[in-house]
Amino acid sequence: MRLPDGYQERIYTPQQARSLEAVWRHEEPQAGRSLILPDGRCDVIVRYNADLDVVPRLVVTGPATQPYWVEFESGDRWIGVRLRPERGGVLWGDALARAKNQVALEEEAEALVPELAGLCVAGVSAKDLRQALVRFVEGRPLRPEGQRVGETVRRLHLTGGRFSVTELAARARCSTRHLNRMFVGKVGLSVKSYASLVQFHRALRLVCEAGGSLSDAAFEAGYADQAHMTRAMRRFGGFVPSDIPDDLIRPDVSGGLWGNRVAR
Amino acid sequence: MKLGYAIIYVKNVLETVTFYETAFGLTQRFMHESTLYAEMETGDTVLSFSAEEVIELDGLAFAPNEKSAIPAGWEICFITEDVQAAFEKALAAGCATVSKPHEVPWGQTISYVRDLNGCLVEIATPMNLEG
Repeated sequence: MRLPDGYQERIYTPQQARSLEAVWRHEEPQAGRSLILPDGRCDVIVRYNADLDVVPRLVVTGPATQPYWVEFESGDRWIGVRLRPERGGVLWGDALARAKNQVALEEEAEALVPELAGLCVAGVSAKDLRQALVRFVEGRPLRPEGQRVGETVRRLHLTGGRFSVTELAARARCSTRHLNRMFVGKVGLSVKSYASLVQFHRALRLVCEAGGSLSDAAFEAGYADQAHMTRAMRRFGGFVPSDIPDDLIRPDVSGGLWGNRVAR
Repeated sequence: MKLGYAIIYVKNVLETVTFYETAFGLTQRFMHESTLYAEMETGDTVLSFSAEEVIELDGLAFAPNEKSAIPAGWEICFITEDVQAAFEKALAAGCATVSKPHEVPWGQTISYVRDLNGCLVEIATPMNLEG
């Protein structure tokens, strides 16, 4: 697992925290840009700078299904809370249905989470930011139904995204239609979209670490053939399996106990 | 090479160990402080339980064991002279019956249950290979 310098992360298990999956911090010593792979989760982030006169900015991200580039200045810092996939509503509320691949900045982010608007004052400490983000996320009330979606997310991760919606619905003891509706309502993505992301991340890992051929990796990841894997990598990463960027930061999206991911 | 471990991936290692102690009379011989891994006292070939979560760390993937799903195509088989008593004990502990004790043409008495995680477990008399 490749991690950038200046990145720290603490993962929380479901027993430790009900909505937050990780609290992370990142610092960039020099200006540049970085490719962020989509992981289907929502984050609430404060972006600030080593220069304490720079006023921090609030960022709320929706579940991403596309790669994107983030550009940064020297001394840029981020502190963020990543939510469990099924807890996106904590940040977006009913707007989660329209949050896919959206990034809300400043006023727009403050409108979503007005409780955090007061945080963005020059000179605020990292500790205060972290505490405020964690308290806010964990303090938000939960709606029922999250449990069943959470179990479905778990099954998707255990199978590397290879269970069909039919199988997932059978295991959740409900119809595919009902499962999809609950899933979209909680995660902000369809079951199929989320499964494709999990499959993509696992395939990426297999290509980089399994030590076999590309067709071996495609087969183990559950793609019909290598062409399907190539298509998925183009779509979610913007690259092809035979030409994965050397400096790619591969996030761990295991959805709970383990994980690392780059800041945006 | 020799067979060292049979490792079953489960949702909850602690609950599974307690269940196997109660239902099948095994004893725990090791529990990692994280409670993500445990071993039972089963002789040279160790029956272990590992938390499902850890698999993604190694890039593995599998169909998780669940009561609501069809079990995976393999089993754990316990051997006893008193299959009926062991079978009843397993059911009393919460196993679901699949096949009650019955004699098969080659002389064994066998039965099948599913454990708390939906895994297939056989309880049978020893096979007399000299028979």
